[in-house]
Amino acid sequence: MQTVTIKNLTKKFGSAVAIDNLSLNIEKGKITGLIGADGAGKTTLLRTIIGLLLPNEGEISVLGFNPETQKDELNLHIGYMPQKFGLYEDLTVIENLDLYADLKQVPHDFEKMLEFTTLSPFKDRLAGALSGGMKQKLGLACTLLGNPEFLLLDEPSVGVDPISRRDLMKMVREMINPDTTVLWSTAYLDEAHSFDTAVVIDKGKVIYEGKPHDLAPTPQEFENKVIDLMGGYKKEESLIAKNYEYNHSYCGENDYYTVEADNLEKRYGNFYAVKNNTFKIKKGEIFGLLGPNGAGKSTSFKMMCGLAKPTSGTARIMGTDIIKHPAKARSHLGYMAQKFSLYGSLTVRQNLNFFALVYGISLLKRKKKVDEIIEVFGLKEYEKIPAEELPLGLKQRLSMAAALIHNPPVLFLDEPTSGVDILTRRDFWNHITSLAQKGVTILVTTHFMDEAEFCDRISLFYKGQTVAIGTPQELKQKANANDMETTFINLIKESEVNQ
Amino acid sequence: MIRDFLRRVAALIKKEFITIWNDPKTKGIIIGMPLMQLLIFSNTSTMEVQNIDTVILDRSKSVESRELISRFEYSPRFRNFYYVDNEADFKKNFDVQKVQIGLNIPNDFSRKVKSRQGAVVQVVSDGRQTNSAAIGAGYAGQIITGYSNDLIGNNGAGINITVRNWFNPNLKYKWYILTIIVSMLSLVTTLILTSLSIARERELGTFDQLIVSPLSSFEILLGKSIPPLCIAITLTMIMIGIIIVFFKVPFVGSVPLFLLSVAISLLAIVGVGLYISSISNTQQQAILSAMTFMMPAVLLSGFLSPVEDMPVFLQYLTYLNPVRFFMVLSRGIFLKGMGVDDVITNIIPLIIIALITLTLASRTFKRKLG
Amino acid sequence: MKILLALIKKEIKQILRDPSSIIIAFVLPFISIMIYMYGINLDSVKITMGVKNDDNSPEVATLVKSFGHSKYINSINFDNMEDIKTAVLRSKIKGAVVIPNDFSTKLSRGEKSDLLVITDGSETNTANYVQSYAITIANQWLATSKYAGKIKRPLITAESRTWYNPDLNSHYFIVPGSIAITMTLIGILLTSLVVAREWERGTMEAILSTSVKPMHIVLGKYIPYFVLGMMSMAFNVFLCVGVFKIPFRGNYFLLFFVSGLFLFTSLGIGLTVSSKLKNQFLSSMVAMSLGFMPALMLSGLMYPINSMPEFFQHLTRIIPPRYYVSFIESEFMAGTIPEIVFANAIFLTILGCLLFIAVYMNTSTRLDGKR
Repeated sequence: MQTVTIKNLTKKFGSAVAIDNLSLNIEKGKITGLIGADGAGKTTLLRTIIGLLLPNEGEISVLGFNPETQKDELNLHIGYMPQKFGLYEDLTVIENLDLYADLKQVPHDFEKMLEFTTLSPFKDRLAGALSGGMKQKLGLACTLLGNPEFLLLDEPSVGVDPISRRDLMKMVREMINPDTTVLWSTAYLDEAHSFDTAVVIDKGKVIYEGKPHDLAPTPQEFENKVIDLMGGYKKEESLIAKNYEYNHSYCGENDYYTVEADNLEKRYGNFYAVKNNTFKIKKGEIFGLLGPNGAGKSTSFKMMCGLAKPTSGTARIMGTDIIKHPAKARSHLGYMAQKFSLYGSLTVRQNLNFFALVYGISLLKRKKKVDEIIEVFGLKEYEKIPAEELPLGLKQRLSMAAALIHNPPVLFLDEPTSGVDILTRRDFWNHITSLAQKGVTILVTTHFMDEAEFCDRISLFYKGQTVAIGTPQELKQKANANDMETTFINLIKESEVNQ
Repeated sequence: MIRDFLRRVAALIKKEFITIWNDPKTKGIIIGMPLMQLLIFSNTSTMEVQNIDTVILDRSKSVESRELISRFEYSPRFRNFYYVDNEADFKKNFDVQKVQIGLNIPNDFSRKVKSRQGAVVQVVSDGRQTNSAAIGAGYAGQIITGYSNDLIGNNGAGINITVRNWFNPNLKYKWYILTIIVSMLSLVTTLILTSLSIARERELGTFDQLIVSPLSSFEILLGKSIPPLCIAITLTMIMIGIIIVFFKVPFVGSVPLFLLSVAISLLAIVGVGLYISSISNTQQQAILSAMTFMMPAVLLSGFLSPVEDMPVFLQYLTYLNPVRFFMVLSRGIFLKGMGVDDVITNIIPLIIIALITLTLASRTFKRKLG
Repeated sequence: MKILLALIKKEIKQILRDPSSIIIAFVLPFISIMIYMYGINLDSVKITMGVKNDDNSPEVATLVKSFGHSKYINSINFDNMEDIKTAVLRSKIKGAVVIPNDFSTKLSRGEKSDLLVITDGSETNTANYVQSYAITIANQWLATSKYAGKIKRPLITAESRTWYNPDLNSHYFIVPGSIAITMTLIGILLTSLVVAREWERGTMEAILSTSVKPMHIVLGKYIPYFVLGMMSMAFNVFLCVGVFKIPFRGNYFLLFFVSGLFLFTSLGIGLTVSSKLKNQFLSSMVAMSLGFMPALMLSGLMYPINSMPEFFQHLTRIIPPRYYVSFIESEFMAGTIPEIVFANAIFLTILGCLLFIAVYMNTSTRLDGKR
């Protein structure tokens, strides 16, 4: 029994082809994963299936309805969670639920949902005040209202820690019926491996459709196989690292520890967002900050790069206190934000020009440097395109280029691979590790456990404090686990018990 | 050090310009809207009352009354005439706002005129448009007096008033209102551009990237104030060009002084705008705060009614209002050719306001970062 | 309909939790009425004028005194023209009267004497006052002076009557007018941001996959802001009539009814702009230019429509504030006049409905915008 039948679907935006003559069947009662790079066409496909976009060519049948002409009837049977979750930030948890229940015309039956999502104590909190993981759960709860036959989730677990992801997965599996169909678009391959069916999309076409276990028995191998399907990843020499020059004049008073946090604390009244945070990072080390959402790692990260002022303690970059001498400290820093934070209306080149100048590259050297960096980052053909029109993977490359343009000795990366496909991620980490070998100190936060393996040392946060710090190997031993995800979960559970 | 500073600020300024330039819609609106408003309002704003519709109740129906009426008909200011023969209809025409003025000529009009006794004509005006009422009645009065003088000659004691309107001989209201509109439009444009600048970056998420960079808060504020200032000054120049060429408003003052006044007034406004931008978290808040400032500032600037006529407390308040000084300066230099001394008297308060607002803006900005 | 109620509930909660809506609805109008009441005076304005007297006779000295005593003038005496020139240039005085040395001699001969009135032409609005004050005071003085007997009585005099506003108090006119401005502001500014914001934040996409229909979305925006607007209206009327004692001779029901119609059109303008542009920055700029400025300048509130060039007179026909201003001024000052109420209400209804249709056509349940 097919929930969705798609024949020869094509969708264009202007002259850009998002979906290219795609044919696909989605089976009823199964959880199907939709895997692909950003820009591959996942979101467009989802939107076209439920009728938010109209196809240029092709036929679609969803639950027997034609989304083009019968969208209203179709709506009654589906639950759709878009990428921005669709939550009203000015409304409370319960108000959001009430709203969606009314809009879908279903009973206000929330007890079980609230308990299951552990959102009961936060019933009256404004949605905008929830942590990332809680927002996701609430978004999913609103989508599940009314027990829809067909559930479509557009990257619901992006940017969320492993524990919340597990919860989310559990939530979906337990709250649906045996004949509910789920279409789950994701970039997390370990998640996708647990689904019944996997559909891999690349450049608007299906390149694999079948059971994940047929492709590979374990999630790690699954990842490799998917990469092969996407054209394979050849680990090449990182041009970016090759091009990078470590400026030895940066050696300040303290050139062994390049990044230091000394008893950092961030207090709001009686509430400590971050407490007793101390660590020292050596030159060329990749240091990871891990932890559940709301544990304090983002706050700690922000204090380190000067975005937030600590209520006590110091943060030092290359020996310079970032609060006392901000300009000097910041000139040693390259920063990549989680959400794309460069200027959307400026072209790639214009963005790079701006950051080059701001970071002190003289006008004479600027053109040469920008040319170089465009070449090295593979942005040549996108030079004149406004940044907001780039697909996510290229946006991320641009952000990295802007962060590295002044050859900083220290790089701060805030969830740099959030939402990006596996190929791009592998490539990205190749650059990162190569840069570290050249002497760049890297502070990174991430929710991808496979990336955690690339770190030299990790600091695990929980409730504002560091609960474990060490190499991945040391942490695995401590948690009695073989993989980072289980390590993470075990160590966190332990801390909870110890509280 | 200085070179770094200049380089960074220049980069920020260039970026701001490109952001505005790259988006055709924004470009169109920033330039197009003020120009459109200038053209429309310059044509519609007038203190002169014209096209007056009148209702006439002529009980006299004599040669004299008809002669009087014909003078109204010949007057260019009066448009349509409606003739009634009873009080009720007379009132009705007013009620439904068909007319603004009414003439009630009594039945003894002709007799009194012929016998050289004093005759009275009642001029009724519609008070629902207070301004026009008085002015229209004034015109009617002049026509009646003119007729009276023609009949009996104009000897006897009296006072001949000769009016000399300095700087605007024909008392063209347009000259007055155009200089005002130009000042207001450039102020509003500046205010909106600056108040949205930081708030927009916050909402879009690009602001963090700026904070993490070596740019100091002073550099950021500087980089954010110069582009709107330049755009506003350019806009002002274009509008001035238009009013001089198309509307033939004479410019008698000194150009450098004028440019200086414009620059400093706008600088004061930039300070206000940046302050608003630093305290607003969203674009909506920024726009609303800008409105809340703009409305009283414009209304109390002296263009509707003189500052010296306001209650004392409000008069002192206007010393903090950059719009008030800008109006005086722009009109003064444009039409009167104000000299250096007077310009300075008016510029000093502007400089003070600019300093206050810019300091306030940078303090708030720094505080918000912590 | 339950869906509609849910959307309205949500919108109301968002309004209540956002202080800026409250500020526009209540604080801004309050400030503006205060300004109109106390800051602006469009009637007999007090003006600073200069007086230069070249005539030495004691009679003329009393003329100079009358200028000094007039409560509409702040008079300063000058000895020479240079000083007058400087004072005018500096905007210290708005004009001056110069009494020539043969002023009293001509009058005693039963002739017309000359009076020179100088005005600062760059201050065109006050120039008229300078002129009229000078004429009035001079003539009043003449009528009570020793030359009164030599005046020839005019044959025909005009007797002036002002209906509906016999006190000629401009506040009675301006303050109700400010209600029109406020209603425009609320209708346009608030709504112009609202729809654009939902698109920018992604909540619009989420609700489009539920059972929501375009009409729900449209009404879900109109209704809450309509309620807010009417509450603001009530507050304004209370301020005008209850606190500042502006006379209201009309019918309260009609006042609120027609105001409701006007609010309906303002909301339509704001929502059309917002749905079309889907961008907060642009929506607010366009709404301000197309909605607010015309309300101020082209509605007949500041400048009489009849005095505008032909083309513009016709242009004002599609500007809703024109009809509302006409109605509200009449209702306050003249009481209910059926033809006026009817005519304006009809136009407002038509404009309102056209705008409603425009909003509806621009609201779609698909991202493409197609239906």
